[in-house]
Amino acid sequence: MPLDPTAPEPSARLPRRGLERLDLLLLSVEALDLNGGESMVWMSEQMGFTKLFPNRVELWKRRCTNPLRRTTRRDGLDPVETDALIRILCSLADRLYPLLRGLLTSAEPAEVLSQRWDLFRGRLLELIRERMNPRRGGVQLLLDPDAGARQARQLVQALALGSGAGGFERLRASLLDAQP
Amino acid sequence: MKQTLQYDQLSCRLRVDGLPDVSVGQGAGALGIITGWSLQWAGRPELEGRKEHLLALMQVVLPYARYLISGVPRRFGADPTPVEIGPNPGRGHLLLLRSSQADTPPLQLELDDAELADLVRVLDQLRLDPRLQLPLELPSPLPLRARELLERRPLAQRLAAPLGGVLALGLAAGLGLLLPEPKPVAPPTANPSAVQQPPS
Repeated sequence: MPLDPTAPEPSARLPRRGLERLDLLLLSVEALDLNGGESMVWMSEQMGFTKLFPNRVELWKRRCTNPLRRTTRRDGLDPVETDALIRILCSLADRLYPLLRGLLTSAEPAEVLSQRWDLFRGRLLELIRERMNPRRGGVQLLLDPDAGARQARQLVQALALGSGAGGFERLRASLLDAQP
Repeated sequence: MKQTLQYDQLSCRLRVDGLPDVSVGQGAGALGIITGWSLQWAGRPELEGRKEHLLALMQVVLPYARYLISGVPRRFGADPTPVEIGPNPGRGHLLLLRSSQADTPPLQLELDDAELADLVRVLDQLRLDPRLQLPLELPSPLPLRARELLERRPLAQRLAAPLGGVLALGLAAGLGLLLPEPKPVAPPTANPSAVQQPPS
């Protein structure tokens, strides 16, 4: 995947909401791809981030900066680490783009779409229950049938629009959004 | 010398024709002058235009995608601009293309989320193609301000908390006024006759 030459150098730390969304987007990748955890490690090596994330444990530790996790780490992410994670995410989203597109299209029968969403959402909920702290309001919202379904769609849409080289800058800017 | 750049996605194909700008020393593989472009959609009319129209398309679609990724669907492109895009409630997104000819009505295209993502990807591919050696005046994606993010919440939801607060304050003040005022306590008067004499 070619890098976006217009992307500015990393400078800012992700706010709390950005850390949450970054990890949830990575979690969505795992929900789409059963082997997503391994793919992240493989992609990190392929993209030359071995110094930043030498093994899967280090990669896992960075993801645990999400405040919604059951076991959360308080040390935030360096901008360089954040950018590396976003680049990994964009590349994985690029590989999974046919699946993302299949979820977002309206050109297929409603039953087929419903089955796809049920499968994706079922896996996502399983991962959320396994790894996130259910006492957090944000997690309860994700587990809610209506609000959670809306959020799942937003996550898939964000992955589709952030896929590929051109999506990196767009996704990074959105993760740096101010806290409402 | 003629160059053609082509980018394909499942629902659309963008084709850009042009020439290298030899006046600035561009090589034969470069494209520095856009002579025309076309966007083919599956099951929809083909779009064609000049460089200005392609730029106008990129200038509204890419910022729209930037806002959408933050969950803020906002309309881009006002009336005089040739391209406009905005949310189409319940049915995805609405792309409006205005013709420069006065008697031609604007062309409306309804896009679902997948078709919009395809369009954004072909425009990204073009934007980042090293063969396209042409300065594109496109805004760089920036983080949204808190005010812009608040706009995605419905007005009723945004006003609920402050209105609730004002109501609670008014209610508390009203109840406070209903409480009877405490009667002033009379100061103890000194009555020497009432003072008992200690037994001697």
